[in-house]
Amino acid sequence: MTTAIARMRNIGISAHIDSGKTTLTERVLFYCKKIHKIHEVKGKDGVGATMDSMDLERERGITIASATTAVEWADHSINIIDTPGHVDFTIEVERSLRVLDSAVLVLCSVGGVQSQTITVDRQLRRYNVPFIAFVNKADRIGANPAKVRDQIADKLGHKSVLMQIPIGLEGAFCGLVDLVAMKALYFDGPEGEIVRIEEIPGELAAEAARGREALLDAASLHSDELTEALLEGGASEELLRAAVRKGVLSRRLVPVFIGSAYRNKGIQPLLDAVVHYLPNPAEVENRAMDLDAGGAERVLEADPAAKTVALAFKLEDGPYGQLTYVRVYQGALRRGEDLVNTRSGQKIKVGRLVRMHADTMAEITEAGPGDIVALFGVECASGDTFCSPGLNLAMTSIYVPEPVISLAIDPVDKTAADRVAKALNRFTKEDPTFRTHVDPESNETIIQGMGELHLDVYIERMKREYRAEVRTGMPQVAYREAISQAVEFDYTHKKQTGGAGQYARVIGRLEPLAKGAFEFVNEVKGGRIPREFIPSCEKGFRAVLRKGPLIGFPVIGIRVVVADGNYHPVDSSDIAFQTAAQGAFRQVYMKAKPQILEPVMKVSVEGPSEFAGNIFATISQRRGIIISSVEDGSFSRVDAEVPLGEMFGYSNVLRSLTQGKAEFTMEFLKYGRVPTHVSEMLTEQHLETERKKSQR
Amino acid sequence: MTITVKEELIKRSPLRVLEKSISGGLGRGNIGVLASRKGVGKTACLVHIAADKLLQDQHVIHVSYASRVDHIVTWYEDIFKEIAKAPKMRAALDEFDELIRRRVIMNFKQDGAKTEQVLRSLEAMIVHGNFRAETVIVDGLDFAQAGPDDLRKFKDFAGRLGLEVWFSASLKGDEPLFDERGIPREIESLLGIIDCLISLQHHGDHVHFNLVQDHGRLAPKHLGLKLDPTTLLIAKESRPRTR
Repeated sequence: MTTAIARMRNIGISAHIDSGKTTLTERVLFYCKKIHKIHEVKGKDGVGATMDSMDLERERGITIASATTAVEWADHSINIIDTPGHVDFTIEVERSLRVLDSAVLVLCSVGGVQSQTITVDRQLRRYNVPFIAFVNKADRIGANPAKVRDQIADKLGHKSVLMQIPIGLEGAFCGLVDLVAMKALYFDGPEGEIVRIEEIPGELAAEAARGREALLDAASLHSDELTEALLEGGASEELLRAAVRKGVLSRRLVPVFIGSAYRNKGIQPLLDAVVHYLPNPAEVENRAMDLDAGGAERVLEADPAAKTVALAFKLEDGPYGQLTYVRVYQGALRRGEDLVNTRSGQKIKVGRLVRMHADTMAEITEAGPGDIVALFGVECASGDTFCSPGLNLAMTSIYVPEPVISLAIDPVDKTAADRVAKALNRFTKEDPTFRTHVDPESNETIIQGMGELHLDVYIERMKREYRAEVRTGMPQVAYREAISQAVEFDYTHKKQTGGAGQYARVIGRLEPLAKGAFEFVNEVKGGRIPREFIPSCEKGFRAVLRKGPLIGFPVIGIRVVVADGNYHPVDSSDIAFQTAAQGAFRQVYMKAKPQILEPVMKVSVEGPSEFAGNIFATISQRRGIIISSVEDGSFSRVDAEVPLGEMFGYSNVLRSLTQGKAEFTMEFLKYGRVPTHVSEMLTEQHLETERKKSQR
Repeated sequence: MTITVKEELIKRSPLRVLEKSISGGLGRGNIGVLASRKGVGKTACLVHIAADKLLQDQHVIHVSYASRVDHIVTWYEDIFKEIAKAPKMRAALDEFDELIRRRVIMNFKQDGAKTEQVLRSLEAMIVHGNFRAETVIVDGLDFAQAGPDDLRKFKDFAGRLGLEVWFSASLKGDEPLFDERGIPREIESLLGIIDCLISLQHHGDHVHFNLVQDHGRLAPKHLGLKLDPTTLLIAKESRPRTR
């Protein structure tokens, strides 16, 4: 391992919305001397925080796309990805996590573990990302970092330990006691840039001793050396740090740091912690799939001399042209070298190579393992892997959920139409959960995504960045159809209209499938259907499943078994068997008691307890099922399952009912059966549109 | 078919034995308490009682003072899995998704939650949340902290909204926990408010159920029920014991 790699950290900053992570990032940039002035989110100076590069983000005070930036601290180079907090944009969070080696989980001293924290924690777990916790906003009324530490243990199930204790809290918060060095830290200067080290104030001595004791207990579990040293009378700071580091790397210990980014307190110790406790790229095992060996896993080496493997994890169309963010896992990216995109097989030449800092960039000529940099002028999609010629690896595919909501958009004029096309092209490349297609029947452009807010943001971006105005239709839920009982079919397709005829017969059954969308089973024996026509049958069924007869949505959860059939030596063909399969399906589908399924969302609403009744009411009015309600003092969280179709406009309703004090997040949970009255209404609507179409 | 299996399951439930012993069941507006030392199996029993109500298409609110909701969710899954293991009862598990829609978990932090606030939230759930609960399970209320006043508030609430409320009471004191009539000494002062009181006690390797009070009447009686140590379900005792 080279010193260069040992001195590198790739970190993400993940948190619940409004925990202040953009403010925190801003301070980090400031103390690392990347920026010379601090701007606030929703800042009065009208400039906005540096990391929110998009106008829209500035206006809404939220971070949507993660911008990467590189900083230097204590002789270490730290790549930071500022990740979005809203669930609608979790694809961004997930993509960031895939390329990061570790994370700082930001929590609010008042709110503690919130619904989004739980989601982020789950994601960190999925990608096995080690992390440390930063309990922000210690200056706020009701701040209780110790309680937040307990919640990390209770609600997230992590062994966690306080690394510091606050000196004063809420308005009186003025510094920290470092439990490793056993010193008090104060943050002086107009922007807290001077760290003053003092002895621990007498009134905190006992509490600090207790905190130190707990820290030693937790850390010694991860180091026999430390345990021994403690038995012999004392442990050095290095030994203690090494033990905590071991715990963090194995994800068995979460050290908790405290501060207030807004008040410029606790940031420098947090940066030290990133350097002390989080892994360098060589300490994280990364794997790729070998496409030449049937996808077998291969461990990558963080060696700059090895053959190159890099992942394109984000695309951005900026003022400087198309930018491709890549993470190097093995080998190095060097200007002028050739690489192969293993998905498309296309060769690319590494051109301009830059290190990003939010909106500005620094030109470089080489990037080694662990580096996160951006390439110019490369054609590719998010998730593509670049390798040195001769290697054929793919970084494990990033988990992409299916879109659950769609919206018809209609450009206001011809100019807008061209711009919309351009915008859509870029958005779909950037964000795999955002999709678009033209409905062949209505000729409308349909956009699909993960929620109302997700699509709203793209419509806004079209307007702002592409000056493309569009009219939008009503959001449409992505329904599905499914059969509820098995049914047999026996269908003969026969056509004799001069020339070559068509003949095919298929016999078999349709069965409900508990898991998965579609399964095709071939049980034909003795060549009753010649082998070459079996794929034709499958193709026929697949085609007809795309548009269910009930309401025109895809049919899922179905197993098709073809057991028998018949053919004609001359008249049977690929197309004849496809047609027979489709005919068979249409003939018996209604007998299989088809049902309509709707996306059901896992909804989590948080707000002051006094509004619990209002929140319960909104869920119950929306055909929702309340799973649980958790009251912690004056704060409540309600977890529920609600059909997506009922959630349109919910944010407005919730805001007005709770004076803007409650917020909610939601994510796709499952497909659930719609109740009879909704089913009838949807079928009716479908018939109506079909009738209108045929009249036209 | 499913219905007959379910009916069978309800009919055969050991909880029918319990109901028989307490004059046909706890009944709406009444308060029942399961008392024992910590770790004997009160939560398992409460979840079993709730599961039995859910099987009978009733709505249940499970109030808990524990720190994590997912543990409670797992309790229900496990109990239903065990119930469904009975012969021919597999169908019950298929219905789990349906049944569980009639249960809401309400979690409160012990130190912060005043009984008034808990009841206010319960009422909000029933009235605003349109959740027509018939039974409320209250697990983990600290009886050392909550005095007669709190319990009386629960009782009034149960009466007003027509609820059957089951509590667990953790006994923490020194031995003997029970007096000569089998009454747990720590909650003796609450006997006037409690309608039905059942104690759980270790006897050798088994946990037995003793009825202490039945609808206001002191009626010490062994119930002929035990807690199955592997399934954690309430089960009939093979050989009824006599006291």
